[in-house]
Amino acid sequence: MKMAVDTTKNPIPFEMAQIPGPEMAKTYATKVMGAIIKKSKRPLLVVGAELFEDPVMFDKVIEMAKAKNMPIAATAHSVKGFVDRGYLENVHQIGLHPLTNYLRFADWKGLDGQGQYDAVIFMGIFYKFANAMFATLKNFNRDIKRISLDRYYHVNADMTFGNLAFDPDGYHEAIDEVIAALKK
Amino acid sequence: MVKTEGSFAVEDMKNVQINIGAVVKEEDEWDQPMGPFPKPQIATLRDWDFKIMNRYRIFYSPADDTCTLCTYGPCDLTGNKRGACGIDQEGACGKIVLIACLMGCCAHFAHGIHLYHWVLDRFGDMKFDMGDEILVDSPIYQTVMGKKPKTLKDFGEGISYIEENVANLLAATHTGQEGHYTDFESKALHTGMLDDLGMEISDLLQIVAYDMPRGDKNAPLVEIGMGTLDQNKAVLIAYGHNLAAGAESMIFIENNNLWDKVDIGGVCCTAHDLTRITEAGNESILPQNLGPKAKVAGAIGWWRKMVRANVMDTVMIDEQCVWCDTVKDCQERSIPVIATTDKIMMGLRDRTNDPVDAIVDDLVNFRVPGVVVLDPVKAGEVGVKTAVAVKPKRQAIKEKMVLTQEEFNKWASTCTQCMQCSFVCPPHIPLGKVIEEAAKGNLEPFSATYEVCVGCGRCEQACSRDMPILKMYEFANRQYIKDQKFVMRAGRGPATDTEIRAVGMPIVMGTIPGVIALVGCSNYPNGTKESYDIAKEFVDRGYIVVTSGCMAMDMSLYRDADGKTIWEQYPGGFDGRNICNVGSCVSNAHIIGAAIKVSTIFAHRNHRANWDDIADYILSKVGACGIAWGAYSQKAASIATGVNRAGVPVVVQSHSVMYRRAFLGRADKPEDWQVIDARDGSKVTVEPAPEHMLYVAETKEEAMLEMAKLCIRPSDNSIGRMIKLTHYCDISLKYFGKLPDDWHIYVRHASELPIAWKDQMMKELEEKRGWQIDWKAKKIVSGPLRPADVSFDPTNIERKIRVRK
Repeated sequence: MKMAVDTTKNPIPFEMAQIPGPEMAKTYATKVMGAIIKKSKRPLLVVGAELFEDPVMFDKVIEMAKAKNMPIAATAHSVKGFVDRGYLENVHQIGLHPLTNYLRFADWKGLDGQGQYDAVIFMGIFYKFANAMFATLKNFNRDIKRISLDRYYHVNADMTFGNLAFDPDGYHEAIDEVIAALKK
Repeated sequence: MVKTEGSFAVEDMKNVQINIGAVVKEEDEWDQPMGPFPKPQIATLRDWDFKIMNRYRIFYSPADDTCTLCTYGPCDLTGNKRGACGIDQEGACGKIVLIACLMGCCAHFAHGIHLYHWVLDRFGDMKFDMGDEILVDSPIYQTVMGKKPKTLKDFGEGISYIEENVANLLAATHTGQEGHYTDFESKALHTGMLDDLGMEISDLLQIVAYDMPRGDKNAPLVEIGMGTLDQNKAVLIAYGHNLAAGAESMIFIENNNLWDKVDIGGVCCTAHDLTRITEAGNESILPQNLGPKAKVAGAIGWWRKMVRANVMDTVMIDEQCVWCDTVKDCQERSIPVIATTDKIMMGLRDRTNDPVDAIVDDLVNFRVPGVVVLDPVKAGEVGVKTAVAVKPKRQAIKEKMVLTQEEFNKWASTCTQCMQCSFVCPPHIPLGKVIEEAAKGNLEPFSATYEVCVGCGRCEQACSRDMPILKMYEFANRQYIKDQKFVMRAGRGPATDTEIRAVGMPIVMGTIPGVIALVGCSNYPNGTKESYDIAKEFVDRGYIVVTSGCMAMDMSLYRDADGKTIWEQYPGGFDGRNICNVGSCVSNAHIIGAAIKVSTIFAHRNHRANWDDIADYILSKVGACGIAWGAYSQKAASIATGVNRAGVPVVVQSHSVMYRRAFLGRADKPEDWQVIDARDGSKVTVEPAPEHMLYVAETKEEAMLEMAKLCIRPSDNSIGRMIKLTHYCDISLKYFGKLPDDWHIYVRHASELPIAWKDQMMKELEEKRGWQIDWKAKKIVSGPLRPADVSFDPTNIERKIRVRK
């Protein structure tokens, strides 16, 4: 039987000096990540322009969104990847900065007007920017679960993978496992 | 009647100076009465700050969750908890933001203080004259101080004003003083305004004293790039932001006919200012034909690259943006260093009072790695003499310092692919892969990432094999370094009054879609080329593009298909489809100055001691947006904050989250977007324009889209709004593949719809937004937030209401 990718090892901040304080992210196995996302009531998949560096990730993001019926917030110019694939259903073009600004307020009605989200899942976002936006939510809206499905150990998330930045195959496998868990 | 203070020295009487406590003289005519806020103190403009902050919510992204500033700490502030002193996470972030802004403000205006004393000492007091084309000659000074300086000495009052305020602001950051984040931010905004003033004072002093261009759109093209430094001569580098010592080197060379022996190159803003000495020779105190002979070696991001490329023989450092390992880097390469201001002395011995020849002898024979010489005249002479004398001695050393092919191959093959270097690289260059390819003989990745590398050197420290990665970069790019020869238009200084008269109405009406200011440093997320790409995008679209500092230098390093740099492609005026380089960091003041001049020259607003009124006008009517795409420093934080207090939004790159604070609007809250119609005092809910005040963008594509949007203003007329929407939508289609989701918010009338997509948009308004469309007349019947109204006069200030309803 094929062993699952170990996403719990190598929990070192991708930018090594990024040690924020006593509360640091925990690494989780893919199945647990999938289960937590599946269980959330109002998740939001937030993706960035790093997906262009590994275009297959656009397809995986779409698959993931479909599996959980999740809206996608396409930050930076990442919406172009979805336009190119003809997938614009439930895809919202918005900058990560204004999006996080909305997320920190409990009274925000969401991208669809249906209310605030209970979990955000970040993928394909420039590390330092994603880290800072996680820090905002960590400090100023703790009602939203912060999940990173990126290839970095994200120290300010609640749940993250360990570093898989230099293991592209392992990272792809990990994402596939999360998708499989969502589909279960 | 006004009072001025002064002093004078008595000729031929050494050490005698008579100080005048106060001279009472007739106040010069100024057609404007004194405004409400001359020399505003910390709390004076607080109401204006809160107007900004109530609309643009203070947004923090803490860089750490603890506070370690006092002995009660470290305190855990996670989740906005309070520390032992009672401060919460928001307050702690606000305090750091204020401290950062104070650092930046002080760096600029302390530069001004040095220049103030230096030019008065060196040249004596001079008439403050910006020429016939610039009568509103000190717009920020006049708006803040309520006064017009007549001589260089008059600027002393402005310096004293800043000093007093900075002392109070810094005091407020002590534990047990200010505690609420909103007031930290109001103080930061005040600091930013002081910075605007300090920068203006600094630049006006040097423009007058050194005969720099006074709004000359045809300022000369000067050479830029490492390849322009003539290696047949001794190369003296002046590195930093204060031209005093570098200019003295030039004067020494000129007076001693040494230009055939010495080449001078500037790094960072000193490069700008040395190449702005272009007009000397008329009534100037400076020697004739002094400029423009200096060259721009490069922006701050190129420093470590050029020191490793061994293109210099001696370095003079002055102040600001001088990397702390400069002496170490230079010592390793036997490049003597002369520190010329007391702000940066790097542990070197002060030799100011020693004879020149003794200092040079020690430097040339490498008895010391460097010296401090605080007299700019002496430092200039020491610099030139050292460079000339040390050059022959350095030839053999130079050859040893450059890697050979064998050494390069050996290093490349030692890489273990541990990837520790990539973990610490700011722009995340996959260095392990780059080196792996080099080991196979493929240097292309080293070339492709050369301009992306910010030259920080963290990779070398992380490498367990002590690999000289930056040196390897230089080896792989040695031909590029030789060929790095471009031109940049020298800093022209302020926009002229004539230019403002010509563009004032098109800017306010929106028919010139906006003023784009590209400012700041060299910490680009994806390389220097992005500075060129962003500038070109907006000049081509007809925006007024203004630039300064390192961004102006970096955008010079690219050519179009015809082999022209951006400065050769477009004219240098303050006009649409032009690009003007205002000059160094402190010249950024002229960008705010131009916005003030639009309100006072075009709109006839009284700017005298009237900051909030002018800022309100700019916020509501002047479609301008700043971008600091390579921002790294506290000075950049301070500049952006000052620009924000003047009502101009700013976009910064993704590393700028380290600044911790942004100002972001909420488009979903109509109550945030209520303004007053000054005609009758009625409240009007307007579209969110500009939507944000300080915005971090993840990519240049996002930045450009946001900048186009942030140029939209409530006062745009319908043609202007249509033009602005056309660019907003076109940039979105070009880089995002679709129209933006929020374009409809900005439509007030069918004539504002971009012609290219008008039918498609009307259909969408009807089907998706539920607007009523009269298809026969091609009119919008209902739907927009408000109708287009060309005489609408938006303001945020009650006292601007002309007649109350």
